[in-house]
Amino acid sequence: MINFGFSINRPRTIDIDRNNLRKSNEIIREMPELQACIGCGSCTATCTAGNLTEFNFRKVHTLVRRGEYQGAYEEMNKCMLCGKCRLVCPRGINTRGIVMLIKRKLGDF
Amino acid sequence: MTFFAKFCIPFIIGETVLFTVLAIKYFTWLRDLPKKDWKLIITNFFSLRSISALGEVISESLLHRRIFKVNPRLGYMHMSLAFGWFLLIFVGFLETIAYLGLRWIPLQGHVFFKYFVPLNGISDHIPAFDFTMDLLLLFVLSGVAMAWFKRIRSRALGMKKTTKHTFFDRIALSALWFIFPLRLIAESVTTSMYGGGSFLTGSIGNALSNILSINTLTHIYEPAWWLYSLALGTFFIAMPFSRYMHIFTEIPLIFLRHYKLQPEAKEKSYDNFEVEACSRCGICIDPCQLQSQLGINDVQSVYFLRDRRYNMLQQKIANNCLMCGRCEQICPVGINLNTLRLNSRSSMRNIPHEGRYNYLRGVDKSFGAGKVGYFAGCMTLLTPNTLNAMRSIFEAAHEQVWWADKDGGVCCGRPLMLSGEVDSAQKMIDYNKSLFAKHQISTLVTSCPICLKVFREEYQLEGIEILHHSEYILRLIKQGRLKIGYQHDATFTYHDPCELGRGSGIYNEPRAVIEAVGKLLEPTHNRKNALCCGSSVANTAISDAQQLTIATKVASELEATGAQAIVTACPLCKKAITRGTQQRVVDLSEIVAQNIKQ
Repeated sequence: MINFGFSINRPRTIDIDRNNLRKSNEIIREMPELQACIGCGSCTATCTAGNLTEFNFRKVHTLVRRGEYQGAYEEMNKCMLCGKCRLVCPRGINTRGIVMLIKRKLGDF
Repeated sequence: MTFFAKFCIPFIIGETVLFTVLAIKYFTWLRDLPKKDWKLIITNFFSLRSISALGEVISESLLHRRIFKVNPRLGYMHMSLAFGWFLLIFVGFLETIAYLGLRWIPLQGHVFFKYFVPLNGISDHIPAFDFTMDLLLLFVLSGVAMAWFKRIRSRALGMKKTTKHTFFDRIALSALWFIFPLRLIAESVTTSMYGGGSFLTGSIGNALSNILSINTLTHIYEPAWWLYSLALGTFFIAMPFSRYMHIFTEIPLIFLRHYKLQPEAKEKSYDNFEVEACSRCGICIDPCQLQSQLGINDVQSVYFLRDRRYNMLQQKIANNCLMCGRCEQICPVGINLNTLRLNSRSSMRNIPHEGRYNYLRGVDKSFGAGKVGYFAGCMTLLTPNTLNAMRSIFEAAHEQVWWADKDGGVCCGRPLMLSGEVDSAQKMIDYNKSLFAKHQISTLVTSCPICLKVFREEYQLEGIEILHHSEYILRLIKQGRLKIGYQHDATFTYHDPCELGRGSGIYNEPRAVIEAVGKLLEPTHNRKNALCCGSSVANTAISDAQQLTIATKVASELEATGAQAIVTACPLCKKAITRGTQQRVVDLSEIVAQNIKQ
């Protein structure tokens, strides 16, 4: 295949009616500011870990909010908690707090 | 010789409980000390360290010198209670020896000596002892009076906010406050019947015998001693479970500290000494900006230590701290508050994940060479002005620089450590260490005080000198490699970053650099007392709005100096303060770079 320097995600559907939103609701209840996210992707653009890996904070927390927890904990574990995302977030979301919260809710602790 | 009366029973129960609990606590804490700590104790025990520890016990546990520095009246209050009570016990001991010779007398015999004097047929009083004991009692009573007054108006003793006490602390506190007035009453009633006493108990005794009939006096005689004994007994039973455990814990703590024991990134038995040495005096509350600027009242070190001690520490309390170190700096007991909070965070959420950060293997695309390595740090990468300024400084000094993280490096690991994940942070430390070793640098310069602290304390970079850019620039100036044009009309004020000042002890270098460029105007809180910008990476609990509130307050204090620009030496502080002011906020390196003389 020709390498165009980008790829396209495989088509898929997220069925919010089927997904178990319990954890997602818990997360939003504890840190409602996450709903203020406009998805601009500044967090992902500055991300130290994202610079070295495929880690994408915006993608992971968006999926988690939709109840797609598969692999989210492992992805979040790539974060180095350096805090650049918090400084650039135009909505002033406490992103480091969100990372820790998602890990606490979805991980084994 | 009789040294027993029924009223002694509460006191005897109290002392038994107290000494039993103390023995159990000390035994378990010492038994659980790691081998390394025991080694330190054994090697240092027979050295001058023991003597200097004894000196500190006298100056701190008895005289409370550090509290005098906070506020003289507060210091006097604590000293009169501690040193006064100690002297009462000590002189009381000498008194019994003077009357009865050097021999064993049960403890209640010493404590209730005035009661046992007539029982043992002593009628010749030694006036010097009566006078001294009265004087000392007055000394302690003055402290109790101040403590009562502090409840009503704490500001008079230099404290805006005082500790909210637990129920058991209140019981112990009330018992302590009643001990000395009750002692005064019991001894006065005794002198009214049997003579003796001096200006205090003697005078009150005389007045009592004039007002009351001898019949009434005999009736209140025993109850007065009962009450005194009950107050003592209650206090002794409550003591090991309340804040007053600090009286006994601070002494071994001072010795252990002189033997070079200290808390570490993981909890250990030594922490018990530090946690229980907290007297909950509340001196840490006023400096806390979360308290003074955000009105958060339950996270300060005094409450953190209390919750940790009683095993009711919640994650949200442990996490809500800027770790600015303002409380640690003022703590009269010298407890390592930041380290204790960190190791609490660590034991609350540090789950080592084997595969974590395995991706670090193979991400190294570093190139370039140079004896001086420049690690900008994540935050500096977000403040390109600092980065550009450092580039022109390096060029002007003709320095061969290896840029360690220009195209995205790996975090230094400190933010992760600050949130308690010590084991995971080690992977980043290892990565960066091997990177520095690979490029064979001899000097490591960083613009970020957060990185600086972890490089110095955790990296163990043998053979590599670690410098903050303020130190590095000052060195270039001193060596004459960097020439700076002094601006006669330029005025600057300087904000001490927490991690650089209190964290790494660097106060003078940035100031010297600023003074090479223009005039430096100091804000109200500076150096050790400097305020925190509020955006500390150690805090994951406060919101953006709360951070901004703190930043605005800090910025307004800096603006009040009337300086043309606010200078700081930390990229994070710069970002934070910029949000809180219209004033120009610059990094130290920027003002240097702008004024380089070619």
